[in-house]
Amino acid sequence: MSEPDTSEILVDGRGLAPPEPMEQVLAALGQLKPGQRVRFLIHRQPYPLYDILRRYRYRYETVAVADGSYEILISGP
Amino acid sequence: MIPAGLSLEQAPPIDVPLRFFLTAPWFLVLAAALMAWQGPAIFVSRWLPATLALTHLLVLGFMAQVMLGALLQMLPVVVGVVVPRPRLTATLVHLPLTLGALALAVAFLSGVPVWFQAAWWSLGLGFGVALTAIHLALWRAPVIGGTVIALRCALAALLVAVVLGLLLGGFFGWGWRLPVVTVTHLHAAWGLIGWTALLVVGVAYQVVPMFQITPPYPAWFVRGFAPLMAALLVAWTGFAFGGLAMAATLTSAALAGGVALFALTTLHLLGQRRRKIGDPTLVYWRASMVSLLIGAALWSLGLGIPALGRLPQFELLLGILPIFGFAVAVINGMLYKIVPFLAWFHLQALLFQRAKVPTMKQLLPDAAIRRQFWAYLAALLTLLAAAVHPAVFTYPAALAAGVTGAWLGFNLAGVWRIYRRTLRQANP
Repeated sequence: MSEPDTSEILVDGRGLAPPEPMEQVLAALGQLKPGQRVRFLIHRQPYPLYDILRRYRYRYETVAVADGSYEILISGP
Repeated sequence: MIPAGLSLEQAPPIDVPLRFFLTAPWFLVLAAALMAWQGPAIFVSRWLPATLALTHLLVLGFMAQVMLGALLQMLPVVVGVVVPRPRLTATLVHLPLTLGALALAVAFLSGVPVWFQAAWWSLGLGFGVALTAIHLALWRAPVIGGTVIALRCALAALLVAVVLGLLLGGFFGWGWRLPVVTVTHLHAAWGLIGWTALLVVGVAYQVVPMFQITPPYPAWFVRGFAPLMAALLVAWTGFAFGGLAMAATLTSAALAGGVALFALTTLHLLGQRRRKIGDPTLVYWRASMVSLLIGAALWSLGLGIPALGRLPQFELLLGILPIFGFAVAVINGMLYKIVPFLAWFHLQALLFQRAKVPTMKQLLPDAAIRRQFWAYLAALLTLLAAAVHPAVFTYPAALAAGVTGAWLGFNLAGVWRIYRRTLRQANP
């Protein structure tokens, strides 16, 4: 589990009905300060989100978690 | 890490799936107009040309239209594969499917072979392109889960249904010799159980837990159900062509049992949803699954009591329940999830951090979804009544079906209007 960390905004979208997880993660990206990143927890591969991230040149890294969910680290363009 | 095999291309442009979704509701209106034009005679038997025209306006113009459009949209989102040349593919599916559905209705109504020939080429092209494009994508899927297995079974069943349909088209268009009644039964079963029900099954694995916040389908069900049903359909086809009547009857009873099991499992999951106030599309799922369950029960009853099964009214009920009850309800409900999401998603992608994007509920208010359901339910109940008492209920059924189709069409067109307006305001 992640520690409270000011260099990171944590968005936990697990178990929420779409498109709430994406709404939350996009809102978090809007508040991102230079050097900060978003840690996004989600219960499935968010393929549509990747489209938006690529389009706006965010850098992201997806890690599959043992419980079947995914953790995506997103940093600014 | 990005998983290996995941394509980095973008989701298809919004007009790729939307053209299917905005066209489909008007086929419900067209079907209603045909009912009003033909009057009570259309409910005398399922085998009448006008009744076959009505059936194909619904299954091709409405159902196949949305199902293929949704597959072209869903594969990139759910499975992570991209359909090649999405715009060209969509045009080569949407246009021939739409024209082919119209041509086939005219063919049945006029009985003129050249219309059957036109429908044959048109539908052959549309389904051929769709099957090729979607098969290519599905076999490249990076993740093989229950949904991909069910979708593969559904796609294989569509291929069988289309081939059988083209054989029947050849019978009407060119006078090909074939056992028409057996082929028609198999065509309907592969289309309704194999293609439609298994596609809904594969999609339900994803969307029922996702949108209705229910527990997932049991793992054994997710893995085994679709292949088992596909195997039963293959067996049934063999028995039917081989003239093994008893074995065929037992296999169809097993198919009816399988369909009922899916309906009961889904209704059970919907009952266990974690939200007190259900999602507005919950009623569509319930109406769909109850129709499927009653349809399966009637089907079994007809197998047990053949004299009952041969009654024209009974056969009509066995068509209305799976088509207008099961399929139209679930597709109607799913359209209310897909279309606002697409508009919302594309607006987010285009206007991210530049302009405020309307929420999904602003794009399509819950109240609009809940209200149209009553028109849908009225249409379903009057249609079922019309199968039994055509003289009284045909015109009310036509009116209600026309209202529900047009209402759905306007609701979806409303989303598109807000989408366009938001883009215009952001890019003056």
